[in-house]
Amino acid sequence: MAEAKDKMNKEENSQKPDVNYWKSFADLHNDPALIEASRHEFNEDVTDEFDPAKLSKFSRRKFLALIGTSAALAGAGCSDYRDKGEIVPYTKMPEDTVVGKPKYYASTFNYSSQSHGILIKTREGRPVKVDGNPDHPVNKGKTNAIVQASLLSLYDPDRLQYPIKKTNSSKFTKSTWKDVDSEILDVLKSNSGKNISIITGNIHSPTTKKVLDDFASKYPGTKIYSYELFNEEIRNSAWKKCYGTDSYPLIKWNEAKVIVALESDFLGTDGNKVENSRLFAEGRDVHNAKNFNRLYVVEGNMSLTGTNADYRLRLRPDAQYNFVMSLLSEVSRRTGAGVPFNLSSFALDKFAKAYSLDTKKIKHLINDLVNNKGKSIVYAGRTLPEGVHIAVNYLNEILGNKNLYRTDSSAFSNLTLSSRSEIENLVSDMNEDKIGVVIHFDSDPVFQFPEDLGYTDALKKVSTVISLTESINDSSAAGNYTLPINHAFESWGDAKTRTGFYSLQQPVIAPIYDTREKEAVLLNWIGEAKSDFNDTIYHEYLMKNWWENIYPSLNSKFGFKEFWYGALHDGIVSVSESLNSFGSFNNSAFSKLKNLRANQSGYAVILSEHYSIGDGKFANNGWLQELPHPVSKITWDNYASISKNTAKELGVKNNDKILVTVGKRSLEIPVFIQPGCADNTIAIETGYGRTVVGRVGEGTGFNANVLFSKDSDWLFTTSSVKKGNGTYQLVSAQEHHLFDRSPNENLLGEREIIREGTVKEYLENPHFVSEMHEEEKVDQIYPKHPDWFTGVKWGMAIDLNKCTGCSDCVVACTAENNNPVVGKDQVAVGREMQWLRVDAYYSGSEDDPIVSKQVMLCQHCDNAPCENVCPVAATTHSKDGLNQMVYNRCVGTRYCSNNCPYKVRRFNFFNFRDHFRDGFQQEGILDLVYNPEVTVRSRGVMEKCTFCIQRIATERENAIRENREVIGSNVHTACQDACGTNAIHFGDINNKNAEFYKYRNHELGYYVLEKLNVKPNVTYLAKLRNTHSEKI
Amino acid sequence: MKASFLDYVLRYRLPVTVFVVIASFTITYFASDAERDSVGYSPDQPINFSHRLHAGDMQIDCQYCHTGVEKSRHAMVPAVSTCMNCHTIARKDKPDIIKLTKYYNDGIALPWKRIHRVPDFAYFNHSVHVNSGIHCSSCHGDVKQMDKIAQMNSFTMGACLDCHRNAHDKLPYLKNIKNGPDDCWACHR
Repeated sequence: MAEAKDKMNKEENSQKPDVNYWKSFADLHNDPALIEASRHEFNEDVTDEFDPAKLSKFSRRKFLALIGTSAALAGAGCSDYRDKGEIVPYTKMPEDTVVGKPKYYASTFNYSSQSHGILIKTREGRPVKVDGNPDHPVNKGKTNAIVQASLLSLYDPDRLQYPIKKTNSSKFTKSTWKDVDSEILDVLKSNSGKNISIITGNIHSPTTKKVLDDFASKYPGTKIYSYELFNEEIRNSAWKKCYGTDSYPLIKWNEAKVIVALESDFLGTDGNKVENSRLFAEGRDVHNAKNFNRLYVVEGNMSLTGTNADYRLRLRPDAQYNFVMSLLSEVSRRTGAGVPFNLSSFALDKFAKAYSLDTKKIKHLINDLVNNKGKSIVYAGRTLPEGVHIAVNYLNEILGNKNLYRTDSSAFSNLTLSSRSEIENLVSDMNEDKIGVVIHFDSDPVFQFPEDLGYTDALKKVSTVISLTESINDSSAAGNYTLPINHAFESWGDAKTRTGFYSLQQPVIAPIYDTREKEAVLLNWIGEAKSDFNDTIYHEYLMKNWWENIYPSLNSKFGFKEFWYGALHDGIVSVSESLNSFGSFNNSAFSKLKNLRANQSGYAVILSEHYSIGDGKFANNGWLQELPHPVSKITWDNYASISKNTAKELGVKNNDKILVTVGKRSLEIPVFIQPGCADNTIAIETGYGRTVVGRVGEGTGFNANVLFSKDSDWLFTTSSVKKGNGTYQLVSAQEHHLFDRSPNENLLGEREIIREGTVKEYLENPHFVSEMHEEEKVDQIYPKHPDWFTGVKWGMAIDLNKCTGCSDCVVACTAENNNPVVGKDQVAVGREMQWLRVDAYYSGSEDDPIVSKQVMLCQHCDNAPCENVCPVAATTHSKDGLNQMVYNRCVGTRYCSNNCPYKVRRFNFFNFRDHFRDGFQQEGILDLVYNPEVTVRSRGVMEKCTFCIQRIATERENAIRENREVIGSNVHTACQDACGTNAIHFGDINNKNAEFYKYRNHELGYYVLEKLNVKPNVTYLAKLRNTHSEKI
Repeated sequence: MKASFLDYVLRYRLPVTVFVVIASFTITYFASDAERDSVGYSPDQPINFSHRLHAGDMQIDCQYCHTGVEKSRHAMVPAVSTCMNCHTIARKDKPDIIKLTKYYNDGIALPWKRIHRVPDFAYFNHSVHVNSGIHCSSCHGDVKQMDKIAQMNSFTMGACLDCHRNAHDKLPYLKNIKNGPDDCWACHR
């Protein structure tokens, strides 16, 4: 029945010329409230707080009277000049410093399993922006949101500013390094019979590893434990069983013609997103549309990767094993390749029927895999069980896909992560009073270890617990000593997480607070703190380690000093290492796999890392908290993602809480009904719910780590879920800044906000996108300026084929343009201040929609509707095609925003720096984060994307100095610099020889809302889906 | 007809009041013009530095000290170390140099009083002006004659635009000068 209905629907769809695009279920079902809301400039309650009676008893009349009086008084007393403050020059000029000119330093930023090569921009000695290091082989000049936002963490007022220790009253009090050093040294030295445990995250640096080893040999009985909440353990152990080598290889995504991602968000949180998405997007080049890759995603929840799929199949994660076995069986049948395993009980057609998968998609999948032998890759997510990985490895083996494994480089581990049994032994040792000292080496095990491990209780039995951390966390609160450590930008270091190169880390600012490098703290204890602490101790150690252990093997033709300065300048050091080779598949890997798993019933719960705040370390970072989730657009919280049917079954709607129980562990968490989520699947991202966190992260989200047990992975099949008590308001930006629409029109399609097609359509008719639009001759209502737009004219082209919708550009824009954090309550009423947003549109069925992403920013229209409604001419047009916004002229009528068809203007309803968390952003230290080239806006003015006018101004300045014309391609906007897939192009529209011209005038190019004839300077390149023949 | 009180108010009281108000405003406006634009502002500086002596008599190039002027938007008030290039030897015994040396040796910041200032929301750029060939004196006046530095011209938006729109008349010594941009974002961003 259902199938027949589906078929009918599909036939109907194929006859309909327009695709019905929708942003949410309310939108799809023409919810009158939403349509009404879309007509208004702002959310309905956006001005609620502006009841004058509530604001102040001080009346306007009294205010004016007072102002008049004081003006008169001032007039009477104006016999002298105003004081204009002071100019304080340097006392001793630092070398090569020109005030007002930035300096760039190559460095490295590490977190959880990742290491990023970065380029830090500093102004007058303070870091103001972070981008990728162009020479770094992984980053290639690009970064992600977390690395961009690390800048804010540097200046976080909630950072620990001095050592603290717990006194008898179990309260922490301020201490000094001298005191804590001598107390801790006493303990370390007299720690007879008892062991010392150091618990650390992943060790990225070979020199840090050496410090730890030195510490262990100085204080015998020291053991080092390393863990990560999310890691490659399963993937690697499966690989080891199959091929005998330690780590799963890196993938040549750029060479794959067909990519099949099984519950793997490789464009998001699974692996190095920056590299993966760059390589993936290389296969989405509009100038080479014939060679587009094809992405199949089989997953439970809608992931970022899923939103980019050409074909997406919804499948609960615990059925992946049966799916991949059935796939293997089908592929082996088609190719005649033998499988060392009895697959008779797996049949793809039966499986597809049981899980109501689209058989047409399955057929395409099989055909594509078989026809693209050696050019396809099947990739299983790191949270899936080992059996899936073994089968996937075998599938790639028989499809000849091994040549997509990279041989030139592979993952490198300085210190293998501790096994579960090691950690369990540690806890039992702690309980048996065998451990005298525990050192949390920049880690948060109390928050991240499973509760049933009993770590928190065991910690109480340890007399000395020391936490080395940037800011207080759950683990530091459970200890005696909390020692503040340097931020990465204040520290020396090196990193090796891949074979083939080292990455170097150098400080770009002196420690802001009384903090030390974490390695320096240990080195000081190794040296028994005999002399006064020397803050270059680790720097010297690092150089010595390189001089003695690494430099000699490099055969450098330079002396060490020259080599070292050169290496610091570049940020990376290449080394030649042997190529990886992959032996033959070890058939015994299959031996322990079960033949058939029972049909799944009940609920599958899958936990994954949060997109922006990671494993919780960045919970106090406002830029990351306020970044709308790339799929759901929810800010400031995590949630349980469920399908519409599951919601119906559980009797819940958005914001209702559900109670998820796995074994004895349970979690109550609000739900979000995610279109495209598989039925009976609950997907939760972790990292939220820290109890000990700074003011920004306080009270955000729910701690999903409670679901972990000591022997669980990230996927739970035996869980029960029921409706919980009460509701919790989740705030999503999905329905904010809507395009105006009427009830009975499908405006998104008809008004050509989204235009897309298939590769096939494009190859048959390259002009199909422009043919979607009928040219209408509209009379110009503006006066003509023949001398305008004759020189450089700025424009942007956004290639939606490459854009994955990851939203990293949003954080880059926030960092560059001094946008404030407004807080959850303000996002709830639509007052978020990000100049750039990534719109997500759904189309197709409610259960299994297709997603279209669109980066939306000021379009800098040549016929800008905002300009002619401004009563004070605060927004005007420039001769080089920019829509200018002058803050000091703006009186805040908000007419411009009302008249903007793209809804990209942002109004400062408050001085948000004062308003958010009681003036948190006004604390002196945060002044340092601002870009000195951009005005910090205050309450009552409108603002919007400026095309990074400060960067254009720099190019103008350079052109005048070098006595040349302005060159468009010299200007890179902040979003463009951050875009990992190079989807954003910027430049001079009038320069016919520039690379940008090809994008601006590409036949796939279109303007959003072209019918309005506002003549935007932002071109979108229509997305092509690489489907077989289906119209989307 | 007997003149009423209202008549008196309308005939005499009101016009006189209005006249007095307008007159006082007008006088104050013109009398305080320089102060409002800060023209002539010349506060006492922590060190009695003479531009007449250094730039005038000794003819030290402006850019010996103001090194940023060609490269950056800031001309840069020189670091104390720049003064010390000469004054570790020259005129060591003069009271102001002793004061200067103390600033330098003790590493204390030297707080010069600021003379020229455009508001925070206006981004003036020295390098684009100097690299177009405009003399320092076109805005800063004849600094070489000043014992105590003072502001000589108005630095208001009107003053900027006056030159940007009439570059030829304002800068006759530059034959090929073109008008400066008058788009908002030339300065405001």
